[in-house]
Amino acid sequence: MLLWALLILPPVLAGTCCVARSARRVLLLASVGGAGWAALAGATASAAYASGPLFAARGWLYLDALSAYHLAVLGLVFGASSVYAWGYFQGELADGTLSLRSARRFGALWFGSAAAMTAVLLSNNLGLMWVGIEATTLLTAFLICVHVTPLSLEAMWKYLVVCSVGVAFAFVGTLLVAASAQRLGLDASEMLLWTRLRESAALLAPGPMKLAFLFLLVGYGTKAGLAPLHSWLPDAHSQAPAPVSALFSGFMLNTALYCLMRYLPLVEGATGGTGWGGGLLVVFGILSILLAAVFIVFQQDGKRLLAYHSVEHIGIIALGLGLGGIGTFAALWHTLNHAVCKALAFFSVGRLGQMYGTHDLGRMAGAMRRSPVWGIGFFGGVLALIGVAPFAIFMSEFQILRAAAAAHAFVALTLFLLGAGIVFVGALRHAMTSAWGEEVCEPKLQPGGVADAVLVFGALALLLLLGLWMPGPLRTALEQAALIVGGRP
Amino acid sequence: MNDGAGPDAVLALLIITDLLLLGSSRLRSCITITALQGVVVSLLPVLLHGAEGAVRPWILTGGSMILKGAVFPWLLLRVLRESGVRREVEPFVGHTLSVVAGVAALMFSIWVGTQLNLPGPVAPNQTLMVPAGLATLLIGLFLIVSRRTAVTQVLGYIVVENGIYTVGVTLVGGVPMLVELGVLMDVFVAVFIMSIAAYHISREFDHIDVDQLNQLRG
Repeated sequence: MLLWALLILPPVLAGTCCVARSARRVLLLASVGGAGWAALAGATASAAYASGPLFAARGWLYLDALSAYHLAVLGLVFGASSVYAWGYFQGELADGTLSLRSARRFGALWFGSAAAMTAVLLSNNLGLMWVGIEATTLLTAFLICVHVTPLSLEAMWKYLVVCSVGVAFAFVGTLLVAASAQRLGLDASEMLLWTRLRESAALLAPGPMKLAFLFLLVGYGTKAGLAPLHSWLPDAHSQAPAPVSALFSGFMLNTALYCLMRYLPLVEGATGGTGWGGGLLVVFGILSILLAAVFIVFQQDGKRLLAYHSVEHIGIIALGLGLGGIGTFAALWHTLNHAVCKALAFFSVGRLGQMYGTHDLGRMAGAMRRSPVWGIGFFGGVLALIGVAPFAIFMSEFQILRAAAAAHAFVALTLFLLGAGIVFVGALRHAMTSAWGEEVCEPKLQPGGVADAVLVFGALALLLLLGLWMPGPLRTALEQAALIVGGRP
Repeated sequence: MNDGAGPDAVLALLIITDLLLLGSSRLRSCITITALQGVVVSLLPVLLHGAEGAVRPWILTGGSMILKGAVFPWLLLRVLRESGVRREVEPFVGHTLSVVAGVAALMFSIWVGTQLNLPGPVAPNQTLMVPAGLATLLIGLFLIVSRRTAVTQVLGYIVVENGIYTVGVTLVGGVPMLVELGVLMDVFVAVFIMSIAAYHISREFDHIDVDQLNQLRG
């Protein structure tokens, strides 16, 4: 019942957005509806924890600890971004640059992408999961160019082509999984059901399964932004409006990683638990961390800087997943920390960018004095992102280091520390300039609301709190989810 | 229909259309060839599984034929009319060389087909079908990276999809209907959105040369 409600509510809201009478109403609906849907997602997730896995539609819809955890994170990011969108578009509403047409399109696609991501999380059928991922690409493509400019068109085109073709590889992988399951003699309607495959993972044909995982890694890895498949990511993140960037970075990338998490226990089962699939994830993870580090040092554009941070953090999550053991737990925790932190950073840089008319970090110098709320948000967000203690990201990265040491993966450990070190120095320099540097530009200040302060300080407080103390229910949730992926708590 | 003549014809047409596509520079004929390939590939479910008397393969064949044979060419021809571009001028890889690359891709796929120990294809006597699908996939990718116009890149995407469809139908007989319809719808929406995007690009830039979309870097 709850699962159906979660899936049906966003399309209904999207339809309502299409017939709303004014741009203002669309935005109001987007923020109120988004927050409401987020609350429903949270309630569903906690129901799944309280009463065990939820099923619907004859086992095709399925919510277990792993997907419930991701659903809760999605709810958090989506709800916060929806509320933020209201403030973000106020300026454009006031000077009339946001037409009713674009506002309707934004509202409809905004809820549409939520529906697609929910479909990925709820679907027990691996084929439908793929359909959901492809749908997120298609629905979010036009969110990048809410304002049609040459640059946003370019970003959208790259995003569309790279992600559609990349994700097509994941479909070949899905077919190969079905082929490797043929010896189980399952009925067509059960052939791709994850729960069935998980039960008999040890019986899957190892050869096709390995090949399948390679295809899946390339396909979903493109969508997740793992290097060297990340080429679309900085462009799309930098051109999209800030609420969209926050949703992209905070959760859409994780949706693709979530798919890989579903396949990891299958491939481990089929190959006899030798860590073959995990090893591949470690390689991609390390590569992403190092490559992002180099680009972060030389980045001048605030949003592109954050986009490369996404590549880095997705790499860290992949590394944790690949290492297994406590690394899986830490990777899942890192997912939440990164989502909160990246949403905060994109919110702040988006509003600062509106005030300064550019995202160039050099020209935003001295933002902390001009707009204390968003200045603190950006500076605090970057500090948390680069792993300053005692923010939560430091803690989860530290646990991934421990996992690497426990797995005797000393090469990975060294490279991870190297990458994190470069990022630390490089990003800190950028953040200091934009916070306290000599002023170059006169910003057009916008009046701040209570909601702004709540978003910024709420997120910072959450990151600080999680870094210092982990609530019992969250620990249990993470442990249960990690067990599903195959790590030991 | 189990004598294999139908599938063999599909196989031959698939490879011929692949090579024709690599060799032709007029965008209009490229669109026609891709449409033909789409129709041919759509026949596969009926040819391989139609004799079992189920209604499912017929629905898939029908849906996919309408999309690939009529809707896609219509969308793309419209973009072509809007942009006024007639042919692919100076692709990164010349047309003759492209055909050579296509043949190489085909040979590579056949070699891969012999190396891979895939579980037996659903239909017997169709051992060449998976390599042909793989070759089509590779050729589609090649089109995407080696051509400049947005329209050819969309065509490349459709060709990749045709390749995957061929592999899928041959390798796995019974993916649930809902999944196949979902995939079909995704492909439709993808091509639809790409055409709209190409249309916007042609309006905003006065060309559909995606190689010139290079403002964003670093």
